[in-house]
Amino acid sequence: MTAAVISPTLPVLDVRGLTVGVRQQAGFRPILHDISFTLMPREIVGIVGASGAGKTVLSKAVVNWLEAPLAIDGGEVRFEGADILGLAAGDMRRLRRRVAYVGANPMGALDPTLPVGRQIVEKLMAVVPGSSRRESERRAIELLEAVRIPSAKSRFHDYPSQFSGGMMQRALIVDALITNPALLVADNVTQPLDVTVGAQVIRLMKELARDFDTAVLFVSSSLPVAREAASRILVMGEGRIVEEQATEALIANPRHAYTVNLVEQTPKIWSGGAATQPQATQSLETGSDREVVISLRDVSQIYRVKKRDSFAGVNEVRAVRDVTFDIRRGDSFGIVGESGCGKSTLMRLLSRLELPESGELLCHGGDIGKLRGKGLLDFRKRLQLVLQDPFGSLPPRTAVGRMLEEPLRAHGWRDRKVIRERVLKVMGDVGLAPELYEELPLGLSAGQRQRINVARALVLDPEILIMDETLSALDQTEQFKLLDLFQKLQREYDLTYIFISHDLAMVRKVCNRVAVMYLGAVVELAENERLFFDPGHPYTKALLSAMPVLETRRYQPEDCLLDGEPPSPIDLPTGCCFKTRCPLAFDKCDTISPSLMARGNRNFAACHLVTSQAAPPNSQSGGQPGPRETEYQSA
Amino acid sequence: MFVLAFLARRLVQGLVIVFLVSLLIFTLLRVVPGDPVRLMAGGMAPEALIEQIATSMGLRDPILVQFGRYMGNVVQGDLGQSFVRPANGAATGGSSFNDATRGERAKVADLIFETLPMTLQLAAVTLVIALVFSTIIGVAGGLAPGRWPDKVAFYVSSIFISLPNFWLGIVLALLFSVHLGWLPAIGYNGFAYTILPAIVLAVELSPVLIRTLVSSVSSQMGQSYVSVGKVRGLGHARIVANHALRNASVPLLNLLGVQFSSLLGGVIIVEFIFDYPGLGLLTINAVLQRDFPLIQGIAIVTSAIFVVINIVVDLVATTIDPRLEY
Repeated sequence: MTAAVISPTLPVLDVRGLTVGVRQQAGFRPILHDISFTLMPREIVGIVGASGAGKTVLSKAVVNWLEAPLAIDGGEVRFEGADILGLAAGDMRRLRRRVAYVGANPMGALDPTLPVGRQIVEKLMAVVPGSSRRESERRAIELLEAVRIPSAKSRFHDYPSQFSGGMMQRALIVDALITNPALLVADNVTQPLDVTVGAQVIRLMKELARDFDTAVLFVSSSLPVAREAASRILVMGEGRIVEEQATEALIANPRHAYTVNLVEQTPKIWSGGAATQPQATQSLETGSDREVVISLRDVSQIYRVKKRDSFAGVNEVRAVRDVTFDIRRGDSFGIVGESGCGKSTLMRLLSRLELPESGELLCHGGDIGKLRGKGLLDFRKRLQLVLQDPFGSLPPRTAVGRMLEEPLRAHGWRDRKVIRERVLKVMGDVGLAPELYEELPLGLSAGQRQRINVARALVLDPEILIMDETLSALDQTEQFKLLDLFQKLQREYDLTYIFISHDLAMVRKVCNRVAVMYLGAVVELAENERLFFDPGHPYTKALLSAMPVLETRRYQPEDCLLDGEPPSPIDLPTGCCFKTRCPLAFDKCDTISPSLMARGNRNFAACHLVTSQAAPPNSQSGGQPGPRETEYQSA
Repeated sequence: MFVLAFLARRLVQGLVIVFLVSLLIFTLLRVVPGDPVRLMAGGMAPEALIEQIATSMGLRDPILVQFGRYMGNVVQGDLGQSFVRPANGAATGGSSFNDATRGERAKVADLIFETLPMTLQLAAVTLVIALVFSTIIGVAGGLAPGRWPDKVAFYVSSIFISLPNFWLGIVLALLFSVHLGWLPAIGYNGFAYTILPAIVLAVELSPVLIRTLVSSVSSQMGQSYVSVGKVRGLGHARIVANHALRNASVPLLNLLGVQFSSLLGGVIIVEFIFDYPGLGLLTINAVLQRDFPLIQGIAIVTSAIFVVINIVVDLVATTIDPRLEY
């Protein structure tokens, strides 16, 4: 329609002196100060900054989508030469055909009660009046196929709740690009996604933007992620653009202090050398004769969910499958994997919140499933849990000191003075000021709250701490501080940590031993160095290749990155559970499920391609080979 | 397939519910004081006669035996016969009791299915009035939280919930029938007789519907699909009509399923006030006369209706929102 002839030198987007803030009764508080930049046709520009830098406000202002109390105080957003900030609602709506937006929350973006395809068609027909329904449907299905949504024709009729996060985000990219826009604003699109899926989404978005001649403003809180997508990057700090350079130049040679800091704080996996080596790895790598504190023997967990279309049928969700490993005193044991891989179920089993369907969990040789009464209470004291959500996990109307006293009281402490002393000691250990004793946790930051959570676990003087995504809610700086704290506490209290995480960079930094999970099974179990420098399982390689990093990759996404998403744990594929996404799958994988094969002394991977470098560990019971480390040592 | 499995499961559950309700009512009716035979035979009847009648009617058997016999008949569609009412009409007292008239006693099923359509008609008109009224007030309130339509919705529902239905019934009858002469009020002789009682019941039903609508519409308007809809290029009217209202209707539907029971409670009083010949009036008379088989029959029929309505409500709710599992 009005896709008038625009000379290629004219920018698609030209933001000039944009100032946006919060308008309240108290006055105007600016969030964005005097932002100016341009975006040429077909260009992909990244905007990077820490949380709170004003990136989301900027991306909303660019598509003229600010809602009260946010207000524009000055400046222009010129789209194809005309300022769009002053447009009437109706005119702006027609312009949505040319200006598209994809946000960070794919799951909430569509009406949950209508099929995805129908809503994409509805949008197309609303924005491009006069398009026929049949033609729109055809185009939607075509694009859904283009973003590799499997069996797009039937997926078209599925509801948002039947889409995974990654598929939903791809459907929303289709929704944004279906009208052939000149500008796409992508606000943190990969943030809620797993790394392998996020990498796919970026790749598809780049492909589509190229095919459709769409310019993309790629907003992200992660510099490595923006590097994947953008050719030029603007760095935002505290509402201002502090630096602008071509991507590679920016990373190689950051000029502004804020950017330098941003580059430095990005975790390094391979290039850090000895400086980033976890102390645990250094001192403990060879110490495999340490005492085993937790031991899993063929642990499985099955959840039964009612089948929707049958009278009494149930689906079995095999959340954890035949997991076997040992955790030794002083270990920092990492359990990694993407959403749905069974990490959280394993956490519930380890902490005996649930009992396994089969197999045993031994703590110091005793089956924790058999513990009752006093024995169970002792086990609880030994093993404590630190949770993920710093806000939901603290009772809002209880004083900090009181929260920390609670576990002591539950374990039979009565003397108020002794309790108080103990609590104050632990508060000091985790770096909480004693004045907080009588305070409510209301005004505390996420980092402070996580310290309370750690203190609450530590107050009972446990041997083992399970950290379930404990750091994922914190920003980079806070994460570093808490990791230092964890290492200090480990030395002082002789603690054993189990980190459950999806963040490989964090695991690289702190864990000496790592289990990689996929679809409920451990597919690789290895020492830190070996896992990151010589992984034995294609899935581990894929994870490593998909990690957004600033350094040179050891594993290239082109060789290792997976298409698609994990199959449903309800109907697992026969043979190897990874074969549906494995670039190396061959006929044996179709029928035989690989068990963990030894690769050297203490490393194992469940892949047929692993040729045992040592004799496989002989199995003691029931013919199922698995890493019986204790025996293996003595052999 | 889903629908069939759903219906099969829910109908089985429903049968269990109806059975339990019957057992409960049956037992309670027989342990409360007041001998129905005494009522039937009249205060002057000799004790021996009463015993004789009671034994011949099986009223001296153990409760479970009586219940078994009763349910056996119910399964065959026979709800028994009224203790008190003759088949030919008006209720009779016990003084005219003699064995010869027993055969003329009204069948409970007939009594119920004569009056049930009247009550269903009343309930339907009530529902239409209440839904139209609450939707207008409630949706307007939900779309403008904190502003005047929200306040109107709040005041209207507060006032309506504080009006006692018997008082409102009498006032409306005085106003519209006696003073203005627009609508008839007493008895039933055509559709116009349904309107006044329906208004009274609708006033009773509306406040909860309005409150639910206001809160569900305003919470839906705060959902991200609404604000994202705007940036996707959907118009406000389309977002509200096609998406927000669709989502907001699910809590309303569920509420209706539950409110139906209180509607039946309201029917009893309102039908009594307007002398409306429906199930409510029948219930009151049955209770006053200790007409066990009739009370029992009404309980079974209303609980069955309640079960069916809730099945329908859940089925409609799952069609609107496929995430729901019942």
